[in-house]
Amino acid sequence: MITNDIFGALQLMVVGMLTVFCILLIVIGLGTLLIKLVNKYAPEEVVAKQPVSTLMGAAGQVDATVKAVIDATISQITGGKGTASKITKL
Amino acid sequence: MEEILTNLYQMTAFSDIIASNGTYLIMYVLAFVLLYLGIVKHFEPLLLIPIAFGVLIANFPGGDMGVYQADEAGCIRDAAGNVLAENIWEMSLPQIAHDLGLMNFLYYMLIKTGFLPPVIFMGVGALTDFGPMLRNLRLSIFGAAAQLGIFAVLLVAVGSGFFNIKEAAALGIIGGADGPTAIYTTIKLAPHLLAPIAIAAYSYMALVPVIIPLVVKLTCSEKELKINMKEQDKLFPPTNKMKNEKVIKIIFPIAVTTIVALLVPSAVSLIGMLMFGNLLKEIGSDTSRLFDTISNSIMNTATVFLGLCVGATMTVQAFLNWTTIGIVIGGFFAFGLSIASGITMVKITNLFSKKKINPLIGATGLSAVPMASRVCNEISTKYDPKNHVLNYCMSSNVSGVIGSAVAAGVLISFLQNLSL
Repeated sequence: MITNDIFGALQLMVVGMLTVFCILLIVIGLGTLLIKLVNKYAPEEVVAKQPVSTLMGAAGQVDATVKAVIDATISQITGGKGTASKITKL
Repeated sequence: MEEILTNLYQMTAFSDIIASNGTYLIMYVLAFVLLYLGIVKHFEPLLLIPIAFGVLIANFPGGDMGVYQADEAGCIRDAAGNVLAENIWEMSLPQIAHDLGLMNFLYYMLIKTGFLPPVIFMGVGALTDFGPMLRNLRLSIFGAAAQLGIFAVLLVAVGSGFFNIKEAAALGIIGGADGPTAIYTTIKLAPHLLAPIAIAAYSYMALVPVIIPLVVKLTCSEKELKINMKEQDKLFPPTNKMKNEKVIKIIFPIAVTTIVALLVPSAVSLIGMLMFGNLLKEIGSDTSRLFDTISNSIMNTATVFLGLCVGATMTVQAFLNWTTIGIVIGGFFAFGLSIASGITMVKITNLFSKKKINPLIGATGLSAVPMASRVCNEISTKYDPKNHVLNYCMSSNVSGVIGSAVAAGVLISFLQNLSL
Protein backbone atom coordinates (compact mmCIF):
# COMPACT_ATOMS: atom_id res chain seq x y z
CA MET A 1 0.00 0.00 0.00
CA ILE A 2 2.77 2.43 1.03
CA THR A 3 4.82 1.41 -2.05
CA ASN A 4 1.85 2.32 -4.24
CA ASP A 5 1.46 5.62 -2.42
CA ILE A 6 5.17 6.41 -2.83
CA PHE A 7 4.94 5.64 -6.52
CA GLY A 8 1.85 7.89 -6.72
CA ALA A 9 3.65 10.66 -4.84
CA LEU A 10 6.66 10.37 -7.14
CA GLN A 11 4.40 10.61 -10.18
CA LEU A 12 2.67 13.60 -8.65
CA MET A 13 6.04 15.25 -8.01
CA VAL A 14 7.13 14.86 -11.63
CA VAL A 15 3.78 15.92 -13.07
CA GLY A 16 3.37 18.77 -10.56
CA MET A 17 6.81 20.29 -11.07
CA LEU A 18 6.55 19.93 -14.86
CA THR A 19 3.14 21.62 -14.82
CA VAL A 20 4.36 24.50 -12.63
CA PHE A 21 7.42 25.03 -14.85
CA CYS A 22 5.34 24.82 -18.04
CA ILE A 23 2.73 27.28 -16.76
CA LEU A 24 5.34 29.80 -15.65
CA LEU A 25 7.27 29.40 -18.91
CA ILE A 26 4.01 30.07 -20.75
CA VAL A 27 3.38 33.10 -18.51
CA ILE A 28 6.91 34.36 -19.31
CA GLY A 29 6.37 33.78 -23.03
CA LEU A 30 2.95 35.41 -22.85
CA GLY A 31 4.38 38.42 -21.03
CA THR A 32 7.18 38.79 -23.56
CA LEU A 33 4.76 38.53 -26.47
CA LEU A 34 2.42 41.02 -24.83
CA ILE A 35 5.22 43.53 -24.29
CA LYS A 36 6.36 43.19 -27.92
CA LEU A 37 2.84 43.55 -29.32
CA VAL A 38 1.93 46.51 -27.12
CA ASN A 39 5.28 48.18 -27.83
CA LYS A 40 4.62 47.76 -31.55
CA TYR A 41 0.92 48.57 -31.83
CA ALA A 42 0.05 50.65 -28.78
CA PRO A 43 3.10 52.47 -27.48
CA GLU A 44 2.26 55.19 -25.01
CA GLU A 45 2.09 58.63 -26.49
CA VAL A 46 5.05 60.60 -25.23
CA VAL A 47 3.77 63.81 -23.75
CA ALA A 48 6.37 66.49 -24.37
CA LYS A 49 7.47 68.00 -21.09
CA GLN A 50 6.85 71.68 -20.85
CA PRO A 51 10.22 73.38 -20.83
CA VAL A 52 11.12 74.94 -17.52
CA SER A 53 11.70 78.23 -19.26
CA THR A 54 7.94 78.58 -19.84
CA LEU A 55 7.30 78.09 -16.14
CA MET A 56 10.03 80.47 -15.12
CA GLY A 57 10.09 83.95 -16.50
CA ALA A 58 13.06 85.36 -18.31
CA ALA A 59 14.46 86.90 -15.16
CA GLY A 60 13.80 83.76 -13.11
CA GLN A 61 10.29 84.96 -12.21
CA VAL A 62 7.86 82.11 -11.42
CA ASP A 63 4.74 81.83 -13.54
CA ALA A 64 1.64 83.00 -11.63
CA THR A 65 -0.23 79.70 -12.10
CA VAL A 66 2.72 77.66 -10.85
CA LYS A 67 3.10 79.97 -7.86
CA ALA A 68 -0.63 79.66 -7.08
CA VAL A 69 -0.39 75.85 -7.14
CA ILE A 70 2.66 75.85 -4.85
CA ASP A 71 1.00 78.30 -2.45
CA ALA A 72 -2.20 76.23 -2.36
CA THR A 73 -0.23 73.05 -1.67
CA ILE A 74 1.76 74.64 1.15
CA SER A 75 -1.40 76.12 2.59
CA GLN A 76 -3.13 72.71 2.48
CA ILE A 77 -0.21 70.91 4.14
CA THR A 78 0.53 73.50 6.83
CA GLY A 79 -3.09 74.35 7.56
CA GLY A 80 -2.68 77.90 6.23
CA LYS A 81 0.30 78.73 8.43
CA GLY A 82 3.12 78.29 5.93
CA THR A 83 4.17 80.49 3.03
CA ALA A 84 6.67 80.12 0.20
CA SER A 85 9.43 82.67 0.68
CA LYS A 86 11.53 81.66 -2.31
CA ILE A 87 10.99 79.40 -5.33
CA THR A 88 14.08 78.18 -7.18
CA LYS A 89 14.62 75.53 -9.84
CA LEU A 90 16.68 72.60 -8.57
CA MET B 1 -23.41 25.93 51.42
CA GLU B 2 -20.84 23.39 50.27
CA GLU B 3 -23.22 22.22 47.53
CA ILE B 4 -23.67 25.78 46.29
CA LEU B 5 -19.91 26.27 46.20
CA THR B 6 -19.46 22.96 44.37
CA ASN B 7 -22.09 23.93 41.80
CA LEU B 8 -20.45 27.31 41.43
CA TYR B 9 -17.10 25.63 40.85
CA GLN B 10 -18.67 23.25 38.31
CA MET B 11 -20.23 26.23 36.53
CA THR B 12 -16.87 27.90 35.90
CA ALA B 13 -14.31 26.69 33.38
CA PHE B 14 -11.87 25.85 36.20
CA SER B 15 -13.36 22.41 36.88
CA ASP B 16 -12.73 21.19 33.31
CA ILE B 17 -9.37 22.95 32.99
CA ILE B 18 -8.06 21.34 36.18
CA ALA B 19 -9.45 17.95 35.19
CA SER B 20 -7.71 18.14 31.81
CA ASN B 21 -4.20 17.57 33.22
CA GLY B 22 -2.89 20.81 31.79
CA THR B 23 -3.82 20.27 28.13
CA TYR B 24 -5.92 23.44 28.08
CA LEU B 25 -3.02 25.33 29.64
CA ILE B 26 -0.80 24.30 26.71
CA MET B 27 -3.34 25.80 24.33
CA TYR B 28 -3.45 29.05 26.36
CA VAL B 29 0.36 29.24 26.26
CA LEU B 30 0.24 28.69 22.50
CA ALA B 31 -2.38 31.46 22.15
CA PHE B 32 -0.31 33.85 24.30
CA VAL B 33 2.88 33.11 22.34
CA LEU B 34 1.08 33.79 19.06
CA LEU B 35 -0.43 36.98 20.49
CA TYR B 36 3.04 38.03 21.65
CA LEU B 37 4.53 37.38 18.20
CA GLY B 38 1.74 39.35 16.54
CA ILE B 39 1.49 42.29 18.95
CA VAL B 40 5.05 42.75 20.21
CA LYS B 41 7.18 41.28 17.41
CA HIS B 42 4.82 42.47 14.63
CA PHE B 43 5.01 39.08 12.86
CA GLU B 44 2.03 39.06 10.43
CA PRO B 45 -0.18 40.83 13.05
CA LEU B 46 -3.21 41.00 10.77
CA LEU B 47 -3.38 37.22 10.70
CA LEU B 48 -1.65 36.00 13.82
CA ILE B 49 -3.72 38.13 16.20
CA PRO B 50 -7.15 36.87 14.99
CA ILE B 51 -5.79 33.29 14.85
CA ALA B 52 -4.32 33.55 18.35
CA PHE B 53 -7.51 35.02 19.77
CA GLY B 54 -9.49 32.29 18.03
CA VAL B 55 -7.28 29.69 19.76
CA LEU B 56 -7.85 31.38 23.09
CA ILE B 57 -11.63 31.62 22.96
CA ALA B 58 -12.01 28.13 21.47
CA ASN B 59 -10.35 26.52 24.45
CA PHE B 60 -12.52 27.64 27.34
CA PRO B 61 -14.60 24.60 28.33
CA GLY B 62 -18.31 25.38 28.15
CA GLY B 63 -17.75 28.40 25.89
CA ASP B 64 -18.93 26.53 22.75
CA MET B 65 -16.51 28.52 20.60
CA GLY B 66 -14.36 25.63 19.41
CA VAL B 67 -14.93 24.20 15.95
CA TYR B 68 -15.93 20.55 15.77
CA GLN B 69 -14.55 18.54 12.85
CA ALA B 70 -17.03 16.24 11.17
CA ASP B 71 -15.96 12.76 10.14
CA GLU B 72 -16.47 11.52 6.58
CA ALA B 73 -20.11 10.65 7.32
CA GLY B 74 -20.70 14.14 8.69
CA CYS B 75 -21.01 12.93 12.30
CA ILE B 76 -19.81 15.28 15.02
CA ARG B 77 -18.72 14.11 18.46
CA ASP B 78 -17.48 15.94 21.51
CA ALA B 79 -14.24 15.11 23.38
CA ALA B 80 -16.01 12.39 25.37
CA GLY B 81 -17.27 10.73 22.18
CA ASN B 82 -20.92 11.79 22.58
CA VAL B 83 -22.69 12.42 19.28
CA LEU B 84 -23.57 16.10 18.91
CA ALA B 85 -24.84 15.91 15.33
CA GLU B 86 -25.63 12.80 13.30
CA ASN B 87 -24.97 14.40 9.93
CA ILE B 88 -23.90 18.01 9.77
CA TRP B 89 -24.33 18.11 5.97
CA GLU B 90 -28.08 17.72 6.44
CA MET B 91 -28.28 20.52 9.00
CA SER B 92 -29.29 24.06 8.06
CA LEU B 93 -26.98 26.92 8.99
CA PRO B 94 -29.35 28.31 11.68
CA GLN B 95 -29.52 24.81 13.17
CA ILE B 96 -25.69 24.59 13.23
CA ALA B 97 -25.57 27.99 14.93
CA HIS B 98 -28.17 26.89 17.47
CA ASP B 99 -26.80 23.41 18.23
CA LEU B 100 -23.04 23.91 17.83
CA GLY B 101 -22.48 27.60 18.46
CA LEU B 102 -21.48 30.73 16.58
CA MET B 103 -17.98 29.67 15.58
CA ASN B 104 -19.18 26.42 13.97
CA PHE B 105 -21.77 28.43 12.04
CA LEU B 106 -19.02 30.72 10.69
CA TYR B 107 -16.63 27.84 10.04
CA TYR B 108 -19.08 25.64 8.12
CA MET B 109 -20.45 28.59 6.18
CA LEU B 110 -17.23 30.42 5.29
CA ILE B 111 -14.31 28.01 5.54
CA LYS B 112 -15.66 24.54 4.92
CA THR B 113 -17.34 25.70 1.74
CA GLY B 114 -13.97 27.01 0.50
CA PHE B 115 -15.45 30.52 0.26
CA LEU B 116 -12.90 32.65 2.12
CA PRO B 117 -9.52 31.61 0.59
CA PRO B 118 -10.47 32.73 -2.96
CA VAL B 119 -11.97 35.93 -1.55
CA ILE B 120 -8.68 36.65 0.20
CA PHE B 121 -6.84 35.86 -3.03
CA MET B 122 -8.97 38.51 -4.73
CA GLY B 123 -7.79 41.05 -2.14
CA VAL B 124 -4.19 39.87 -2.51
CA GLY B 125 -4.50 40.37 -6.27
CA ALA B 126 -5.73 43.91 -5.72
CA LEU B 127 -2.68 44.62 -3.58
CA THR B 128 -0.20 42.96 -5.97
CA ASP B 129 1.80 44.81 -8.58
CA PHE B 130 2.90 42.63 -11.50
CA GLY B 131 5.14 45.47 -12.74
CA PRO B 132 8.40 44.10 -11.23
CA MET B 133 7.58 40.67 -12.65
CA LEU B 134 6.90 42.05 -16.14
CA ARG B 135 10.09 44.13 -16.02
CA ASN B 136 12.15 41.03 -15.11
CA LEU B 137 10.20 38.21 -16.71
CA ARG B 138 13.24 35.92 -16.92
CA LEU B 139 13.51 35.85 -13.13
CA SER B 140 9.93 34.59 -12.78
CA ILE B 141 11.00 31.03 -13.48
CA PHE B 142 12.51 30.80 -9.99
CA GLY B 143 8.95 30.96 -8.68
CA ALA B 144 8.51 27.50 -10.22
CA ALA B 145 11.72 26.04 -8.81
CA ALA B 146 10.72 27.05 -5.31
CA GLN B 147 7.68 24.76 -5.41
CA LEU B 148 9.90 21.68 -5.13
CA GLY B 149 9.57 21.72 -1.33
CA ILE B 150 5.83 20.99 -1.68
CA PHE B 151 6.33 17.81 -3.67
CA ALA B 152 9.50 16.67 -1.86
CA VAL B 153 7.75 16.78 1.52
CA LEU B 154 4.68 15.09 0.00
CA LEU B 155 6.95 12.23 -1.06
CA VAL B 156 8.72 11.98 2.30
CA ALA B 157 5.46 12.21 4.26
CA VAL B 158 3.92 9.37 2.23
CA GLY B 159 7.12 7.34 2.64
CA SER B 160 6.98 7.77 6.41
CA GLY B 161 3.69 5.85 6.44
CA PHE B 162 2.36 8.37 8.92
CA PHE B 163 0.21 10.25 6.42
CA ASN B 164 -1.92 9.06 3.52
CA ILE B 165 -1.31 10.72 0.15
CA LYS B 166 -4.09 13.30 0.57
CA GLU B 167 -2.85 14.32 4.02
CA ALA B 168 0.74 14.41 2.73
CA ALA B 169 -0.31 16.75 -0.09
CA ALA B 170 -2.01 19.08 2.37
CA LEU B 171 1.14 19.01 4.50
CA GLY B 172 3.43 19.66 1.53
CA ILE B 173 1.48 22.72 0.40
CA ILE B 174 2.82 24.54 3.49
CA GLY B 175 6.01 24.80 1.41
CA GLY B 176 4.17 27.12 -0.97
CA ALA B 177 4.26 29.73 1.82
CA ASP B 178 0.81 30.90 0.89
CA GLY B 179 -1.84 30.85 3.63
CA PRO B 180 -5.03 30.94 1.53
CA THR B 181 -3.63 28.30 -0.87
CA ALA B 182 -2.68 26.03 2.04
CA ILE B 183 -6.15 26.39 3.58
CA TYR B 184 -7.95 25.87 0.29
CA THR B 185 -5.94 22.74 -0.55
CA THR B 186 -6.41 21.32 2.95
CA ILE B 187 -10.17 21.89 2.86
CA LYS B 188 -10.31 19.96 -0.40
CA LEU B 189 -7.96 17.10 0.52
CA ALA B 190 -7.71 16.68 4.30
CA PRO B 191 -10.17 18.96 6.13
CA HIS B 192 -9.53 17.24 9.47
CA LEU B 193 -5.94 18.62 9.36
CA LEU B 194 -6.99 22.22 8.71
CA ALA B 195 -6.09 23.49 12.18
CA PRO B 196 -2.46 22.37 12.43
CA ILE B 197 -1.76 23.05 8.74
CA ALA B 198 -3.17 26.57 8.89
CA ILE B 199 -1.27 27.43 12.04
CA ALA B 200 1.96 25.91 10.68
CA ALA B 201 1.58 27.75 7.35
CA TYR B 202 0.90 31.13 8.94
CA SER B 203 3.50 30.67 11.68
CA TYR B 204 6.24 29.86 9.18
CA MET B 205 5.13 32.79 7.01
CA ALA B 206 5.47 34.97 10.08
CA LEU B 207 8.90 33.47 10.66
CA VAL B 208 10.16 34.27 7.14
CA PRO B 209 12.61 36.85 8.60
CA VAL B 210 14.20 34.00 10.55
CA ILE B 211 13.93 31.06 8.12
CA ILE B 212 15.20 32.72 4.91
CA PRO B 213 18.43 34.09 6.49
CA LEU B 214 19.03 30.64 8.01
CA VAL B 215 18.69 28.81 4.68
CA VAL B 216 20.65 31.52 2.83
CA LYS B 217 23.48 31.25 5.37
CA LEU B 218 23.60 27.48 4.87
CA THR B 219 23.52 27.56 1.07
CA CYS B 220 25.11 30.80 -0.24
CA SER B 221 28.62 32.23 -0.21
CA GLU B 222 29.41 35.89 0.46
CA LYS B 223 30.61 36.30 -3.14
CA GLU B 224 27.25 35.09 -4.47
CA LEU B 225 25.31 37.38 -2.16
CA LYS B 226 27.33 40.36 -3.39
CA ILE B 227 26.21 39.91 -7.01
CA ASN B 228 24.84 43.34 -7.90
CA MET B 229 21.79 43.03 -10.16
CA LYS B 230 21.86 46.66 -11.33
CA GLU B 231 25.46 46.29 -12.47
CA GLN B 232 24.52 43.07 -14.23
CA ASP B 233 21.69 44.95 -15.95
CA LYS B 234 24.19 47.59 -17.14
CA LEU B 235 26.48 44.87 -18.52
CA PHE B 236 23.63 42.88 -20.08
CA PRO B 237 20.64 45.25 -20.56
CA PRO B 238 17.16 43.67 -20.57
CA THR B 239 15.74 43.32 -24.08
CA ASN B 240 12.05 43.88 -23.31
CA LYS B 241 11.36 47.37 -22.06
CA MET B 242 7.71 48.27 -21.66
CA LYS B 243 6.59 51.33 -23.62
CA ASN B 244 3.02 51.24 -22.36
CA GLU B 245 2.98 49.63 -18.93
CA LYS B 246 -0.66 50.44 -18.19
CA VAL B 247 -2.04 48.54 -21.20
CA ILE B 248 0.24 45.56 -20.59
CA LYS B 249 -0.76 45.39 -16.93
CA ILE B 250 -4.46 45.39 -17.90
CA ILE B 251 -4.12 42.64 -20.53
CA PHE B 252 -1.76 40.48 -18.43
CA PRO B 253 -4.26 39.27 -15.75
CA ILE B 254 -6.87 38.50 -18.40
CA ALA B 255 -4.38 36.53 -20.50
CA VAL B 256 -2.90 34.61 -17.55
CA THR B 257 -6.35 33.65 -16.23
CA THR B 258 -7.36 32.36 -19.65
CA ILE B 259 -4.19 30.30 -20.10
CA VAL B 260 -4.24 28.83 -16.58
CA ALA B 261 -7.97 28.11 -16.82
CA LEU B 262 -7.40 26.14 -20.00
CA LEU B 263 -4.43 24.15 -18.67
CA VAL B 264 -5.18 23.69 -14.94
CA PRO B 265 -8.91 24.38 -14.40
CA SER B 266 -8.76 23.38 -10.73
CA ALA B 267 -6.45 26.36 -10.05
CA VAL B 268 -8.92 28.87 -11.48
CA SER B 269 -10.72 29.55 -8.21
CA LEU B 270 -7.44 30.89 -6.81
CA ILE B 271 -5.66 32.31 -9.89
CA GLY B 272 -8.90 33.67 -11.36
CA MET B 273 -9.77 35.59 -8.20
CA LEU B 274 -6.17 36.80 -7.82
CA MET B 275 -6.15 38.13 -11.36
CA PHE B 276 -9.66 39.61 -11.07
CA GLY B 277 -8.53 41.65 -8.05
CA ASN B 278 -5.43 42.73 -9.93
CA LEU B 279 -7.43 43.71 -13.01
CA LEU B 280 -9.69 45.99 -10.96
CA LYS B 281 -6.57 47.67 -9.59
CA GLU B 282 -4.91 48.13 -12.97
CA ILE B 283 -7.98 49.50 -14.79
CA GLY B 284 -7.75 52.53 -12.54
CA SER B 285 -10.37 55.21 -11.97
CA ASP B 286 -13.22 53.39 -13.76
CA THR B 287 -13.15 50.56 -11.21
CA SER B 288 -11.56 52.41 -8.31
CA ARG B 289 -14.65 51.92 -6.12
CA LEU B 290 -14.56 48.16 -6.62
CA PHE B 291 -10.81 48.11 -6.08
CA ASP B 292 -11.22 50.07 -2.87
CA THR B 293 -13.92 47.67 -1.64
CA ILE B 294 -12.03 44.44 -2.32
CA SER B 295 -8.67 45.69 -1.08
CA ASN B 296 -10.09 47.16 2.13
CA SER B 297 -13.59 46.21 3.30
CA ILE B 298 -13.84 42.71 1.82
CA MET B 299 -10.21 41.78 2.40
CA ASN B 300 -10.27 42.94 6.01
CA THR B 301 -13.60 41.26 6.77
CA ALA B 302 -12.40 38.01 5.19
CA THR B 303 -9.13 38.16 7.13
CA VAL B 304 -10.92 38.65 10.45
CA PHE B 305 -13.26 35.68 9.94
CA LEU B 306 -10.58 33.45 8.42
CA GLY B 307 -8.22 34.13 11.31
CA LEU B 308 -10.83 33.61 14.01
CA CYS B 309 -12.25 30.45 12.43
CA VAL B 310 -8.82 28.90 11.81
CA GLY B 311 -7.86 29.71 15.39
CA ALA B 312 -11.08 28.18 16.66
CA THR B 313 -10.31 24.89 14.93
CA MET B 314 -7.31 24.53 17.25
CA THR B 315 -9.02 22.85 20.12
CA VAL B 316 -7.24 20.55 22.58
CA GLN B 317 -8.70 17.49 20.85
CA ALA B 318 -7.70 18.58 17.34
CA PHE B 319 -4.30 20.02 18.11
CA LEU B 320 -2.47 18.08 20.81
CA ASN B 321 -1.54 14.88 18.99
CA TRP B 322 1.37 13.35 17.08
CA THR B 323 -0.08 14.26 13.69
CA THR B 324 0.23 17.94 14.59
CA ILE B 325 3.86 17.50 15.63
CA GLY B 326 4.50 15.70 12.31
CA ILE B 327 2.87 18.59 10.44
CA VAL B 328 4.91 21.23 12.30
CA ILE B 329 8.18 19.40 11.49
CA GLY B 330 7.15 18.51 7.92
CA GLY B 331 5.96 22.06 7.28
CA PHE B 332 9.30 23.47 8.34
CA PHE B 333 11.15 21.17 5.93
CA ALA B 334 8.72 22.01 3.12
CA PHE B 335 9.38 25.70 3.72
CA GLY B 336 13.15 25.31 3.97
CA LEU B 337 13.34 23.04 0.91
CA SER B 338 11.34 25.50 -1.17
CA ILE B 339 13.78 28.29 -0.35
CA ALA B 340 16.80 26.02 -0.96
CA SER B 341 15.48 24.74 -4.29
CA GLY B 342 14.93 28.31 -5.55
CA ILE B 343 18.52 29.17 -4.57
CA THR B 344 19.84 26.00 -6.24
CA MET B 345 18.02 26.85 -9.47
CA VAL B 346 19.73 30.27 -9.51
CA LYS B 347 23.11 28.64 -8.95
CA ILE B 348 22.52 26.22 -11.82
CA THR B 349 21.44 29.12 -14.08
CA ASN B 350 24.59 31.06 -13.13
CA LEU B 351 26.72 28.14 -14.33
CA PHE B 352 25.42 28.54 -17.87
CA SER B 353 24.66 32.26 -18.07
CA LYS B 354 27.01 35.22 -18.53
CA LYS B 355 24.57 37.47 -16.69
CA LYS B 356 24.88 36.42 -13.06
CA ILE B 357 21.88 36.40 -10.73
CA ASN B 358 21.94 36.97 -7.00
CA PRO B 359 20.76 33.70 -5.33
CA LEU B 360 18.50 35.71 -3.04
CA ILE B 361 16.18 36.04 -6.03
CA GLY B 362 15.73 32.27 -5.95
CA ALA B 363 15.06 32.36 -2.22
CA THR B 364 12.00 34.55 -2.82
CA GLY B 365 10.48 32.04 -5.23
CA LEU B 366 8.15 30.90 -2.48
CA SER B 367 5.13 33.18 -1.99
CA ALA B 368 5.02 35.17 1.30
CA VAL B 369 4.69 38.42 -0.66
CA PRO B 370 6.23 40.91 -0.01
CA MET B 371 7.90 39.93 3.26
CA ALA B 372 10.28 37.44 1.59
CA SER B 373 11.49 40.14 -0.82
CA ARG B 374 11.98 42.66 1.98
CA VAL B 375 13.98 40.14 4.01
CA CYS B 376 16.19 39.28 1.02
CA ASN B 377 16.76 42.96 0.30
CA GLU B 378 17.92 43.41 3.89
CA ILE B 379 20.34 40.50 3.51
CA SER B 380 21.83 41.85 0.28
CA THR B 381 22.28 45.39 1.66
CA LYS B 382 24.03 43.90 4.68
CA TYR B 383 26.75 42.58 2.36
CA ASP B 384 26.72 45.61 0.06
CA PRO B 385 24.71 48.70 1.14
CA LYS B 386 24.25 49.75 -2.51
CA ASN B 387 22.93 46.38 -3.66
CA HIS B 388 19.13 46.72 -3.54
CA VAL B 389 17.51 43.57 -4.95
CA LEU B 390 13.92 44.26 -3.87
CA ASN B 391 12.50 44.82 -7.36
CA TYR B 392 14.22 41.73 -8.74
CA CYS B 393 13.09 39.61 -5.78
CA MET B 394 9.50 40.76 -6.29
CA SER B 395 9.54 39.17 -9.74
CA SER B 396 10.15 35.64 -8.46
CA ASN B 397 8.09 36.37 -5.35
CA VAL B 398 4.97 37.27 -7.33
CA SER B 399 5.47 34.39 -9.77
CA GLY B 400 5.74 32.16 -6.69
CA VAL B 401 2.12 33.03 -5.87
CA ILE B 402 1.08 31.80 -9.32
CA GLY B 403 3.37 28.78 -8.95
CA SER B 404 1.97 27.68 -5.59
CA ALA B 405 -1.62 28.13 -6.80
CA VAL B 406 -0.86 25.98 -9.86
CA ALA B 407 0.80 23.36 -7.64
CA ALA B 408 -2.31 23.37 -5.44
CA GLY B 409 -4.46 22.97 -8.55
CA VAL B 410 -2.44 19.93 -9.65
CA LEU B 411 -2.71 18.33 -6.20
CA ILE B 412 -6.46 18.95 -6.00
CA SER B 413 -7.21 17.70 -9.49
CA PHE B 414 -5.19 14.50 -9.00
CA LEU B 415 -6.20 13.66 -5.44
CA GLN B 416 -9.62 15.14 -4.68
CA ASN B 417 -11.58 12.23 -6.11
CA LEU B 418 -9.12 9.57 -5.02
CA SER B 419 -10.73 7.09 -2.65
CA LEU B 420 -8.43 5.75 0.06
